[in-house]
Amino acid sequence: MTDTSHGTGGLTFDKTKRSWPNEMNILFALIIIVVIFEIMGQVLPYMNDQSFLFDTRGRFDSIFNEARLKIIILQVAIIGIIALGVTQVIITAGIDLSSGPLVAATAMIAMSFAQTELVNGNPNPKAVFGVWAMDLPVLLPVVVGLLFGAMIGAINGTFVAYFRIPPFIATLGMFLILRGIALWWTEGRPVSFPTEGYKFLGSGMMPVVWFLSLAAVFHVILRYTVYGKHTYAIGSNEEAARMSGINVKRHKVMVYMIASMLAAFAGVVLSAKASTAQAGMGEFYELFAIAMAVIGGISLTGGRGSIIGTVLGAMVLGVIRSGFTFVKLDGSYQLMAMGGIIIAAVILDQYRQRNRA
Amino acid sequence: MKRIVIAAGLATLMATSAMSQEIGATISRFDDNWLTVMRNGMTEHAASLDGVSLQMEDATDDLAKQIDQVTNFVASGVDAIIVNIVDTSAGAAITAAAGDTPLVFVNREPDNVNELPATQAFVASNEIESGTLSAFQVCNNLRADGKAGGARGYLMNGQLSNQAAVQRSKDVHDIINIDMCSFMTLIDEQTANWSRDEAQDLMTNWMSSGEPFDFVLANNDEMAIGAIQAMKAAGMDMADVQVGGVDASQDALLTMQAGDYDVTVFQDAFGQGAGSVNTALALVAGETVDQKVYIPFKLVTPANMDDFLSKN
Repeated sequence: MTDTSHGTGGLTFDKTKRSWPNEMNILFALIIIVVIFEIMGQVLPYMNDQSFLFDTRGRFDSIFNEARLKIIILQVAIIGIIALGVTQVIITAGIDLSSGPLVAATAMIAMSFAQTELVNGNPNPKAVFGVWAMDLPVLLPVVVGLLFGAMIGAINGTFVAYFRIPPFIATLGMFLILRGIALWWTEGRPVSFPTEGYKFLGSGMMPVVWFLSLAAVFHVILRYTVYGKHTYAIGSNEEAARMSGINVKRHKVMVYMIASMLAAFAGVVLSAKASTAQAGMGEFYELFAIAMAVIGGISLTGGRGSIIGTVLGAMVLGVIRSGFTFVKLDGSYQLMAMGGIIIAAVILDQYRQRNRA
Repeated sequence: MKRIVIAAGLATLMATSAMSQEIGATISRFDDNWLTVMRNGMTEHAASLDGVSLQMEDATDDLAKQIDQVTNFVASGVDAIIVNIVDTSAGAAITAAAGDTPLVFVNREPDNVNELPATQAFVASNEIESGTLSAFQVCNNLRADGKAGGARGYLMNGQLSNQAAVQRSKDVHDIINIDMCSFMTLIDEQTANWSRDEAQDLMTNWMSSGEPFDFVLANNDEMAIGAIQAMKAAGMDMADVQVGGVDASQDALLTMQAGDYDVTVFQDAFGQGAGSVNTALALVAGETVDQKVYIPFKLVTPANMDDFLSKN
């Protein structure tokens, strides 16, 4: 019995198996991908010897192309916030497919309480409610959004834990319900023109600030708290976790609630960043969030995975997206490459697991 | 007094048309914003004509229901039918359901548009115009800015599987191939899937390479606004770059009013509605009509944007 299994009823929670070696591999892969783009910048004839990551035009104080570094992480920050939640769900051997439409529904609902009354002196043409809902303090739409997320998460969790509906099915149903809610809320019309305070939540590098600080918080929670240990324990062996006195059902509901609140918050940040909320927002976000976790070395059978891995997985997708724009290859190639990398990540991981066993 | 007005009305009615005309219309969905403006165009135009009555039905995006509605219109003996088709690939079914009753397809192009019988026609805006108008105006603006010696820029595509997106991007390529605009070169083009937030990220990616550029063309307003937001966040002066899009949405017009957006294109919902009624009446009267009636797109710039603020 190792010292890391305290409080989990003897379930293995072996740090050596899930921490550094795995995450170092992802970091290594990340560096290889960057090097590939760096080489393409030098080799491809139409690229004029541009550098992917380094500042070759003397635009910045440091040696790096700071604008590139920023966008690499900025463009994955919002899906990254969702990925922090889905990581926890997958560690319990669950899945959450409802996060993308939850982003859209939350964006629509929260934005309705974040509108300004006047736009360049004209009355807001996209007003959802009357004047009473205009120019409210920024906290209000955020709280409304988070409460909505908590409610959806509680429903997901209850179906999974108490009604024993497979998570894939429960959250697939919720996926459709939420897309419907997003459309129904304004009958498809976009909700636009938020207050300055609301816009600030998504302005500049704010999405990255949210993503990385939430990642730090949940890294600590998963590693060092009872909540974290129970989460891993349930994913490793649910029956054993129950026998050892963990309230598995209640804990699962809590995990789904946290995941949905993170997705709802992502919806708030996304609508703030775009200054608009539209029913079609967040398309495929649930899948990219899962992809980030998978590239980050998570096991879909539960019990294994980490926040640091997921953050690195997000970085891999960010580098690919920026890299393909850098070498001016269009979106079709980008999708093919991302698909290949997701599958390669799992194959490599399985190979490594087998060799260790 | 009332009686005199009615008598006068009847007199003009007798003078202009021998009998009243009944038109049945089925719209794919009543709750769509743009289609509602089009619907109002039909209703108001019909009301302004003597002796034309219009019966409007909601197909609620249900093709079977729409075909039933057309069949019902025929059974109740309307003079003409207007269809805003739910599914563009079901043109033949609608055409057959109408039989000999004159029928006008409005806004959405049915797949059998080239095989319509003589009693049927299609009224819409020609997608070829929208991207062309926008790109050509940006070309003119760049010339006016003294950049005719060479201007570089980016093109944002809508969903690559969408016909309107493909057409609008082709329009842009066509414009920068004509002599007058050949000074424009595209640094790169990528899809941002019609979406504002994807356009923000794409624009920021482009800007991170540090290449100077003079214009951004987008297949719709949402992407153009996303590009503008990204450029402003990077501290660019929007006077130095020409941005062109398509749609003339409220968000776009207010962005234009704030001085950040240069060119967009208005698809005339009201005009399409009124045009469909006119075409239906012409078919009933037995006049020869073009089987494809195109309502022109309208160019929108800061000079005339006030005319469009209350439309669409």
